Amino acid sequence: MVECWVVVVNRLGLHARAASQVVRLASRFHSTIKLEREDGSAVADAKSILSVLMLAAARGTRLRATAEGVDEREALDSLCKLFAEGFGEEAEK
Amino acid sequence: MRETVRRSVGEERWQGLGVSDGIVLGRVLRIHNGARHIYRATLEESDIEREVRRWHAAVRLARRQLLKIKELAERELGAEQAYIFDAHLLMLEDQKLLGDVESYIKLERANAEWAVKVVGDRILAVYAEIKDNYLRERGSDIEDVMQRILVALSGGGPVARKLTEDAVVVSEDLMPSAVAELDFKYARAIATDAGGWTSHTAIIARGLGIPAVVGLRDFYRRARTGDPVVVDAFTGEVILHPSKETVEHYKSLSVDIRRAGLTVAETATGPLRTEDGLDILLRANVELPAEFEGLERYGARGVGLYRSEFLVSSRGRMPSEDEQCAAYEEIARLSGQDGATIRLFDLGGDKSPGSSSDAERNPALGLRAIRFSLRHEDDLRTQVRAILRAAAHGRLSIVLPMISDLTDVREARRIIDEEREALGKRGIPTGQIRTGAMIEVPAAVLMADRIAREVDFFSLGTNDLVQYLLAVDRGNDEVADWFRSLHPSVLVSIKRTIDAARAASIPAVVCGEMASTPAYAAILIGLGATELSMTISAIPRVRRMVAGLNAGKAKEIAEECLACETADDVEELVRVRLGEGWPHLFPPKSLPAPKSRE
Repeated sequence: MVECWVVVVNRLGLHARAASQVVRLASRFHSTIKLEREDGSAVADAKSILSVLMLAAARGTRLRATAEGVDEREALDSLCKLFAEGFGEEAEK
Repeated sequence: MRETVRRSVGEERWQGLGVSDGIVLGRVLRIHNGARHIYRATLEESDIEREVRRWHAAVRLARRQLLKIKELAERELGAEQAYIFDAHLLMLEDQKLLGDVESYIKLERANAEWAVKVVGDRILAVYAEIKDNYLRERGSDIEDVMQRILVALSGGGPVARKLTEDAVVVSEDLMPSAVAELDFKYARAIATDAGGWTSHTAIIARGLGIPAVVGLRDFYRRARTGDPVVVDAFTGEVILHPSKETVEHYKSLSVDIRRAGLTVAETATGPLRTEDGLDILLRANVELPAEFEGLERYGARGVGLYRSEFLVSSRGRMPSEDEQCAAYEEIARLSGQDGATIRLFDLGGDKSPGSSSDAERNPALGLRAIRFSLRHEDDLRTQVRAILRAAAHGRLSIVLPMISDLTDVREARRIIDEEREALGKRGIPTGQIRTGAMIEVPAAVLMADRIAREVDFFSLGTNDLVQYLLAVDRGNDEVADWFRSLHPSVLVSIKRTIDAARAASIPAVVCGEMASTPAYAAILIGLGATELSMTISAIPRVRRMVAGLNAGKAKEIAEECLACETADDVEELVRVRLGEGWPHLFPPKSLPAPKSRE
């Protein structure tokens, strides 16, 4: 299992569109991918939009991302990149 | 007072709120998307597999429907409005949802409908607890998806196929996807139990020119698909099983209205003058891309109010500078020489898409519009840059919403100047823009003479002005009787604002809903307004009225109105004087109803 920390940097947090991107990306991998709130209050299956939305992750929220499976490294790298890029929002800033 | 009144055997009347004008005689088409009555059935062990297959088939059907809706929404409402259906599709694919429902069916030996309801309610309960407003509202998307699956389980096909040519869509409340999938070519009118002026349904109905009446309370329950019905959005009345006399009455009226509507729109789009030679400009209020094409067809002289926050609400996020610039350039291009006025984001309060702060107790009086923009200065600067850049390609103005104090005007103007200078230094072309103030807060009315010295124009937002002046929430049915656009205080405020603009030699555009009602528009002209901005679909009927109006006479009537003591007095005066003065311009149904207060 691999893990890393991601921060929600886009202004509106993990809203419907951003969550859709997370789910679409996670679904491309075989690994089990999870997102967990820093305080452990909620864990989400990154392949379930209902679950990701329920994290209620506003801007600035830190999340622990974990992946486990044959393509775990690649999955985690792609996920971290998506978060770091702020889901393509406010690109020119 | 707003209850059902039985007039004759069979005929039943409901009083609601007309939110998009017009009269339609048609047949009820019920669209079920409120709470359904779901019953629990216990299955035989041997039926469980079949039930699971039925559930899978329903999900597949719902998915095919959603894909179609998404396509339709992209076409009719713009790509940005359609993105929410991406999230809906993902919900339909969600293993958590699919798995939970399936295991509930198996473990509890329950019918699929019941399993969907139990699992859906469980998820909704979690969402209801979420602190974030935007995410909490996603609960309605989940509900929407659940309803779609339930309809699919009952074998329901897409709505559009069922629409007959005279369909009056009747629903408890139309959800976004239901509105998007209506085939507007056939939907003649909309009547819903819930909703208000600013509901999604109302805005779309107005944009597309379909009559709509909302707030009918229990109409949905009583109407049956196929029932003959009359929808009179001028008076907010809906009549089920109309009598022969009622049908005759409305047939004659609706022919008049249709004639006044479309034929005038097609033929008369040139300069407009009152009978006694006063020039009047009719401009358009726009929001949805679907409305843009109507600008030319309806003869609008440019855009008097572009509600830019649609760019945010349709995306669920702040649009980038380039995205905004493209949208503003498009508006500028379509508006041509007449130009377009872009209202800075009217965000915050109840309109905030992703605000993570806790709900304000009193959003209408909270951090919204210019206050919200000044607090989120980066976003304000981004929007200003986008407008300045777009102005290089057309005529654009900026209007500052919800001004209550000159400090806000000065602050915004300073930011606009700074951004213009910064863009100039980077060698990016910008255009000239005029900056105006929305006059919609009573404080701004009282200070209008001083504000007028520091802005290039006024935009009178009558919707909010009435709400703030009379302290009446326009979204609250309970106080609808107190929301009186013709209250003397409203007229005095409008007069005062227009006079202040005139004294400072700046234009004043009236751009609330009042301008779109011919009788009110006549009074506005009487009060000195010469520029009116309204929903595109209202332009033909206001145009027809203006061409036949005598402005001098309207001024006399307006002055009498200003001297009235109550809103009832003003309405009575307007009804009698306009109705008697120009019976051909103001048929009885277009005037305030006579008071019969018990």
